[in-house]
Amino acid sequence: MAKQQSTEALDLPATVRTTRGRLAIGAASLFDVPTSLMIAVSLITGYLVLPPLYSVIQTSLFTTKLTGEIDQFTFRYYEDLIRELQVVGPFLNTFYFAVGAALLSTILGGSIAWIVVRTDSPLRSLGYFTAFASFGTPFILYTIGWLLLLGKAGPINYWLKILLNQTAPVLNVYSLTGMIFIESLLWSPFVFLMLAAAFRSMDPSLEEASAACGARVWQTLRRISLRLLLPAFFSVMLLIFIRTFESFEIPALVGLPGDIRVLTTSIYLDAQKLPPRYGSAGAFSVLLMVVVAATLYFYFRLTREGDRFHTVTGKGYRPTRVSLGRWRYLTASGLLVYAVVLLVLPFLIILWASFLPFYMQPSLEGLAKFTTKNYVTALHFPKITDAIKNSVLLGLGSASLVMVLTVLASWLLVRTKIRGRWLLDLMTTLPLLFPGIVMGLAILRFYLFVPIPVYGTLWILLIAFVTRYIPYGIRYTHSGLLQLHKELEEASYVSGASWFSSMRRIVLPLITPSFLGGWIFIFLLSAKELSMSVLLVSPQTPVVSVAIFELWENAQIGELAAFGVIWTAILVTVAIFYYMIARRYGVQQN
Amino acid sequence: MRKNLIAATLLLLSLTPLANAATVEEIALMNRADRQKILVEGAKKEGKVSWYTTLIVDQVVRPVKEAFEKEYPFIQMEYFRGNSERLVQKMLAEYQAKRYDVDMIDGTVSPTMVRRAGYLQRFYSPMLAEYPADLKDPQGFWGTTNLYFFATGYNTRMVKPTEVPKTYEDLLNPRWKGQMMWSTSRGSGAPIFVGTILNSMGMEAGKAYLQKLKAQNIAKSTASNRQVLDLTIAGEYPLALQMFNHHAFISKSAGAPVDWQPHEPVTATIHTVALAKNSPHPHAAMLLLDFVMSERGQKAYQQANYLPSHPKVPAKQADLKPGTRFKRAYYINPDAQYDKGNEWVDYFNSVFLK
Repeated sequence: MAKQQSTEALDLPATVRTTRGRLAIGAASLFDVPTSLMIAVSLITGYLVLPPLYSVIQTSLFTTKLTGEIDQFTFRYYEDLIRELQVVGPFLNTFYFAVGAALLSTILGGSIAWIVVRTDSPLRSLGYFTAFASFGTPFILYTIGWLLLLGKAGPINYWLKILLNQTAPVLNVYSLTGMIFIESLLWSPFVFLMLAAAFRSMDPSLEEASAACGARVWQTLRRISLRLLLPAFFSVMLLIFIRTFESFEIPALVGLPGDIRVLTTSIYLDAQKLPPRYGSAGAFSVLLMVVVAATLYFYFRLTREGDRFHTVTGKGYRPTRVSLGRWRYLTASGLLVYAVVLLVLPFLIILWASFLPFYMQPSLEGLAKFTTKNYVTALHFPKITDAIKNSVLLGLGSASLVMVLTVLASWLLVRTKIRGRWLLDLMTTLPLLFPGIVMGLAILRFYLFVPIPVYGTLWILLIAFVTRYIPYGIRYTHSGLLQLHKELEEASYVSGASWFSSMRRIVLPLITPSFLGGWIFIFLLSAKELSMSVLLVSPQTPVVSVAIFELWENAQIGELAAFGVIWTAILVTVAIFYYMIARRYGVQQN
Repeated sequence: MRKNLIAATLLLLSLTPLANAATVEEIALMNRADRQKILVEGAKKEGKVSWYTTLIVDQVVRPVKEAFEKEYPFIQMEYFRGNSERLVQKMLAEYQAKRYDVDMIDGTVSPTMVRRAGYLQRFYSPMLAEYPADLKDPQGFWGTTNLYFFATGYNTRMVKPTEVPKTYEDLLNPRWKGQMMWSTSRGSGAPIFVGTILNSMGMEAGKAYLQKLKAQNIAKSTASNRQVLDLTIAGEYPLALQMFNHHAFISKSAGAPVDWQPHEPVTATIHTVALAKNSPHPHAAMLLLDFVMSERGQKAYQQANYLPSHPKVPAKQADLKPGTRFKRAYYINPDAQYDKGNEWVDYFNSVFLK
């Protein structure tokens, strides 16, 4: 999906240029920087991505024996899937759900990002805090929080009934709207972090020219800013659309009770058979891969013309903030409402539940029953300190490794003209589509057979996490690099800098916002990873997300809530600490 | 030359213990007067035992571990907890790669899955004689440790005592339309409810009943039984079908507005324990199997508020087991659940999913 295919090639330093000249000749090209980098990055990515890819495809085409051995070739899973696709209901529901969530979360997260990064609105720091804190809340707990808030007997319906003088519940959360609403809230911090990075690296001259021509703030935003941010918007929408299309938790917990069925719920309910079969899940993900591959390919072709998206040039790029005047009260209250809805409400209800011996709707009666028993239970959870330590370590490790790998991959995609590099783009996007359980099993089996002794250690989890989160890293760094005009690197090469020092001193500092945004996102995301972790953890390597899952399956809401509050507090502390460091390096502009 | 010598020595060394030791099968099926002595001696050398479990660590695994290690201080117990499917996937993948970590595995359906894959070892335990026929495998592949009984959980503030549905027929009362929820879980949710109905009423009457029940619009959730019951306590749905009766009891004891009502015959599932085919610590594993089925071991389950399967060990709250509050239970044999379960899931999906 890179663009930059303008007619002039990137003006690489003399040494690089001479070898590049020999690219067509063959062997010697192994030693030029982009090519050898391409080989290295492709090898690493291929090593991580291809074994699970193979497994997913194999799973979709073969029946398996109970032992997990491949049995017979079959198209059955695809036939089942096609039959399921022909049932209009689930397919349309899935489509509306995915489109709705992608649009709503982009509008939500995008508006907040614009206000926080490009205006002088008060309360701007609240945007970052809200995003970090809400994203640090365990996924299941967040959903449960909203179900309790919006449920038939929940406080929101209670007050609405009184206000509107109704007897029946006013809002029905178990609906398509409810699903889209909760899913969008879940994803809006991701949009926010990504678009905030993009908004921050804008070319002010284009906007100033627009303003000079008499355009209003809104016109400039629509005609200039938003168009320049097309790659970032595309990335965001693509990711959320896919993730929602294949998501399971919200459809299962929110949709199913209201008889709103999507494709994943059908697959899940059917997959309850024994021996376990993952063929349908495999076929579903293969089908999605084909769709995504086609999308990426066409996007890649569409954007190969010109340097339309360069916003960070040698002419100075620090965007100015829009002075909002009286409107700033409106934007400030917007931020406040966002914080309340995204964070305060669900967190308060979880906090409330965590202090109760059994769940009760918010009331004085409940207050009288307050107890810290759940916290005592949570703190006695087996190996809890090990789990917290492991989860934090895994988050740090996977976020750092993914970001380094994907910065290099994105640089190759954006800056070089190596043929077939869209394949690298595809390869880095595919892990997004692997069903977690199939990918977990693939990695489990791979390292049981390959004589690399990582089975039962944290390393196997790290490998799995890095593979899983490459797609997020690539979207962050790719849209960040697209904004960077190559003239900056050229200037560096002309001044005699090597490729390495140009990367270190020019590219990396300029894409710091994307880099750090991606880093924290992956850190927080990896803290929640469950579907692979449940298979890959060993008695010696507990992680928090699995502990939360155990509580979700077996404990009462209060115990789950108490554990969740503790974990959220830890993650938010890390995020705030990180934010204070990142601030110095420009995640947020002063 | 020297390399070969070292290789030969290593080979010899690695073969020696094998030559003397009995096989897992021999140890598992051993039935002689000095069995206990041999097991203890062997276990002392092994020093460890590993248990793959679906039980809750905090509630029951830890107390059982403590009780077992008190009995045999020279054995250290390691456990790994997961739900049935993940646990079995893990064990099967390990066996495929010839990595034998697990000694004992438990669960309502996991031992059966492992057995079908061919990775269980039949065993003899003197404790088995103390159990009735439907609580042990005739071929000796599994014994049981505890039982689960299912009932309708209801919110006592929303359902008056006179309204409480007593029988399966009562669930068809129009009063409950849109007021019930159940879990879709294969092992503990709606599918085994379907199984009980089809088995106890007979195919035709059972199907007719389920069609009528369908019209009641029962809300479905993939959440666990525990979470569905908590939604009932929260007031979202007055009735929760197919709940573990001990969950309702535990919440009620904490003061929650909830109680349980059995419908006869009560659906019951049994928690089985089994020995892994290539158990790396077979002596210790047999001591552990003996222990969890013994009256002393069963007390640890009892104290954890689980329902011990040993006929002589009552539940801590006695009426949770059959006898007083309900008489008839339909025990779902794990092998039957494995074989018939797919049909129940299919039937549930085709009738109750819109």
